[in-house]
Formats: sequence, C-alpha cells, structure tokens
Amino acid sequence: MSEFSTVFLAIPGSETLLPGFAELIRRALALDSSVYRLVAGVGNGLGVALLVVLLAGLSEGVGQSIVLFINHITPRRFVLSLLLSAVTHAVGYLFWAASIWLVGMRLFGRGEEFAVVARAVGLAYAPQLFGFFVLTPYLGSLFSLIIGVWTLLATVVAVHAGLGLTIWQAVACSGVGWLLVQIARRTLGRPLLAFERWAENRAAGVPLRWTVADLRRIRLPADWRSLVRRNRPGEKDDG
Amino acid sequence: MAEPLADLLSLLGIGVVALLAWAALAPFEALGWWAGWFGSNIHTDDLSIDLPDAQAPEAVDSYLVFLSGIAQVGGESLSRRERAFLDRLDERLPQTIVIDDIFPYSVNNLPLTGQPFFARLWGWALRRKLSDNWLERLGGYLINLRNIWQVAISIDHRYGPIYNQAMARVIAHGLARKGYDPEQPAPVFVMGYSGAGQIAVGAAPYLRELIGGPVYVILLGGICGSDPGLLAVDRVYYLYGEKDTAQRLTPILLPGRWPLMWYSDWNRARRRGRIVFRSLGPMTHAGGTGYMTASQHLDDGRTYQAATIEAIEEVVAENVPHSHWEGL
Repeated sequence: MSEFSTVFLAIPGSETLLPGFAELIRRALALDSSVYRLVAGVGNGLGVALLVVLLAGLSEGVGQSIVLFINHITPRRFVLSLLLSAVTHAVGYLFWAASIWLVGMRLFGRGEEFAVVARAVGLAYAPQLFGFFVLTPYLGSLFSLIIGVWTLLATVVAVHAGLGLTIWQAVACSGVGWLLVQIARRTLGRPLLAFERWAENRAAGVPLRWTVADLRRIRLPADWRSLVRRNRPGEKDDG
Repeated sequence: MAEPLADLLSLLGIGVVALLAWAALAPFEALGWWAGWFGSNIHTDDLSIDLPDAQAPEAVDSYLVFLSGIAQVGGESLSRRERAFLDRLDERLPQTIVIDDIFPYSVNNLPLTGQPFFARLWGWALRRKLSDNWLERLGGYLINLRNIWQVAISIDHRYGPIYNQAMARVIAHGLARKGYDPEQPAPVFVMGYSGAGQIAVGAAPYLRELIGGPVYVILLGGICGSDPGLLAVDRVYYLYGEKDTAQRLTPILLPGRWPLMWYSDWNRARRRGRIVFRSLGPMTHAGGTGYMTASQHLDDGRTYQAATIEAIEEVVAENVPHSHWEGL
C-alpha cells in the first residue's frame, strides 16, 4: 500500500488511503487490476463502489430514456424515473455481486467476504458512466456495444483481483454468475421484476406502453383541415 | 518537446469528448418536442401566409418544397446563390408553387437565432460565418455541425420516426400556408439539397400520409441514409454532379448504403427502380462550381444553374398529370 500513499488523496473520514475519485475511475477504466484489489481491500471501498454504480445507473438511465419520451413523460417525472433507474441499477448490482460471490465460494472454494467481492464488482461498473453516449444519434448502438464489452472486461478484471482467481477462472466465475442471475430473473426474481416494472410506471406517471419498436406506427394526431383553416389570412396561427 | 505534444493530445481528446457529448445531447430537442415539453406550435411568426386566391386554382398543378443544406440557420436565411437559383426555378415553374422558407433542422421550424437558450450562440456563429476572415469563419462551422447532428437524428432508427414526423408536419404546414388543397391533392416534390436529402427522404412518407397525395423526393447532391422512406414514397430522383465528392463519399459512412447490405432499404429501393439517378454535369457539391452557380458553363453553353433547373423541370413534367399541362 505504501507505494501508493505518497500520490494518493485521502477520502475524508476514512482510515485507509484511496486515490481521488477521478483517479480511481481512470484506472478502473484502464482495467488496472491493482486499483480493483485496492478498493476491494478497504472498508470505505463499498461507498466508492456504490457511488460508481449509482452514477452509472443515472448515466445508463439517460442513455435509455428514449422510451420515457416516447410515452410522453413530463419533465418532473423524467427526473424521478432517472433516480429510480439509479436505484434499480444498485439493486441489480447487489444480485450480480452476490451471484459472483456464491460461485467463487462454491465452485472455486474462495473464502473472501461478500463485501470484498461487492467492492471490486461495483468499481467494474465504471464504463457504464458513459452510458448516456448511447443517445448519440447514429452511433448509439456502437457505443452500447463498446460500453458492454468494456464492462465485461472490467468485471473479469475485478473478479480476478477481488477473488484472487486467475483470469480464466475469473471468466468462468463471471460467466456462471451471469447464468445464475438469468435463471434467478426467470424464476425466483419474477415478483421483484414485476415490482420494478410497477415502480417504473409509477415513477413515470404514464403507462410505459410504447417502445422504440412501436415508433414507426405511432402517429401524432394531425388534423390537416384544421391546419389549413388556421392559416386563413387574418387569423393568428397557432400550429 | 513531449509535454506540449501531450497537452495537445489531451486538448484534442477533450475536444472529441465535448463534441460527442454535444451529439449525445442533440436528440433532446426532438425527444422533448415529442413528449410535449415545448408545446406543439410550429414557428411561423415572420413567414408569409400566401393563399393563392388571386391565382386561378387550376393554374397551380404542383408544389415544390426546397430544403436547404446544413449551413442554414433558419428558414429565411438562404445564401445569395440559393436565393437567385430559387427565384429562377420559381420563374421556370409557373404552375408549381415553390416553398423555400422551411428550416429542415428544427422540429418546429424555429430558426437557430430564435432558440430559447442558445439564440446568442447561434447569432455569434452566424456573424462568424459571414465574416471575411477565414479564421473567424471557422466559428460559423458550429452551425454546420449542429445541423449534421439533426441529419444523424433523422437517419437513426430510434429518433427518425419522431424527427421525420415533425418535419412532415412542418412541411404540411408550409403547404397549408401556400394554399394546398387536401380535397384535390396536387403532387408535392420535396427537394433536399446536400444533408437535407436525408430529411426529405425521411419526412416524405409521413407527408404522403398527411396530405393523401403523391410525394416525390428530389435529392440535389443529396446525402441520405438507407431510410425506409426510400421505399414508401412515389419515386426518388437522385440528381448529382460528377465532381460532387460529398454525395459520392458520404455513403462510405452509411453501412445501409454499401452494396454488401443487399437487403437494406436503399438497395431494395435501387433494385426496384424506385431511385432514378441522373447526372447533371461536372458540378461540385457547393460553392462557385456547384449546382446553383450561374457563372460556370457546360460544354453546350448552359450555366450550371440552368442545367440543374432543367433537370428539376423534367422531374416535375414527368410526374404532374398530363391533363394539367394540356390545359395550359
């Protein structure tokens, strides 16, 4: 640890020195395994991990917000929905970390505490801080792919560093963990997902019934004749 | 030596990220409009409402809507060359009402200089654009960039249906201002110059639904993606100059236009003969050797402007019902 202490900034109130947030993110993005090991090993690492996950959730929420607009959400509800997406992101993160921890323990016989795994896996959400770039016109799906692959690599590095597995063990551990999450979503997790959908609709204040795929067949009401009538000379136009 | 280079690279990196962030935020205008955040008004404050009451209705047999390239800041800010070209086109098509006051880069026809938050920025960029100093003119390219994002929005399958529907309404509104009669829908030609080619192709099918009449697209050095509109409109006329590298090279960036993507809308429209390609001569994309210039001549003595206008006249003549022409 001493090799870092001279250049690292202390996070107020913490006994262990961590680099500044921006530096942590920079190194997490660079897939520097030492930073994942560092965050996994300190008590306040969980706060950092959760902050990354929440901010990533907000950014991803903005990136996916098209569906909110399609369903004519109001500005206030828009903000509320983004906050909710950050929270659901955090809940998803806990499940993700838990399944990796379980797989690490059962399949690879690792004895690390859950918190250690959770800290490392949370930091691996760093690439999703760029989630709002998915909105970029025309390049959105490319960015989505880049962010997805980047997050995957970061997760493997985090599992490798947090659980002390080799890279290939970390790949296997993340893969089985991912499968576990998918199975859980389709079985035990169903009521939770239903609750999430209910909460999303509540936050939006409008039923979120349309998706991007529906856009081509949705038409805004347009009364052509009234358009012509309104434009008779001498009458104020109001579109 | 290494430090200035690193600084320069960091600056470049920051510039690229800032550009991308700007692009990522660009769709909020169209999305907010769709969600009703900015009201449903179409901006027409200074535009003429000109019902052709004085003109015998039968004298009008078609409408042509001109959408300008990405350098534009508002519906009424055409360049001198464009203005002269459109005046000449208007003269040459006496039975066609030419509409040229539509701003194709705004969902509600609001000029950039009338935008609620950024009017001053766009006013500044416009002044730079008109400057004699080339360095200052660089600032004016902010306008082009901003409008390129709108073209990308029109191409994007997530935003296209929103943006293009908005543009169809703005165009329909323009037609209404000029006395379009939905009871007897006359053919409408939507002509997109340069980047507005995409806007024309995108909006045309929605416009067709709105007016219930035939809609043809004319691409003048037009740049468009593989838009479903190519298959939905009555026909697309692709008018191009042999030296127009912009319209030739841009498709490299648009995978749907690659021959390899044989099932894309573009390639299907091509195979079905929905896109008619016509070379106009050695015109370049814009400027003093472009489609609208009157100072350059073809071998046969016609100006570039005259040749372009003749090609447009031909498209109109081919598609306006013959009876209209006979009655003249």
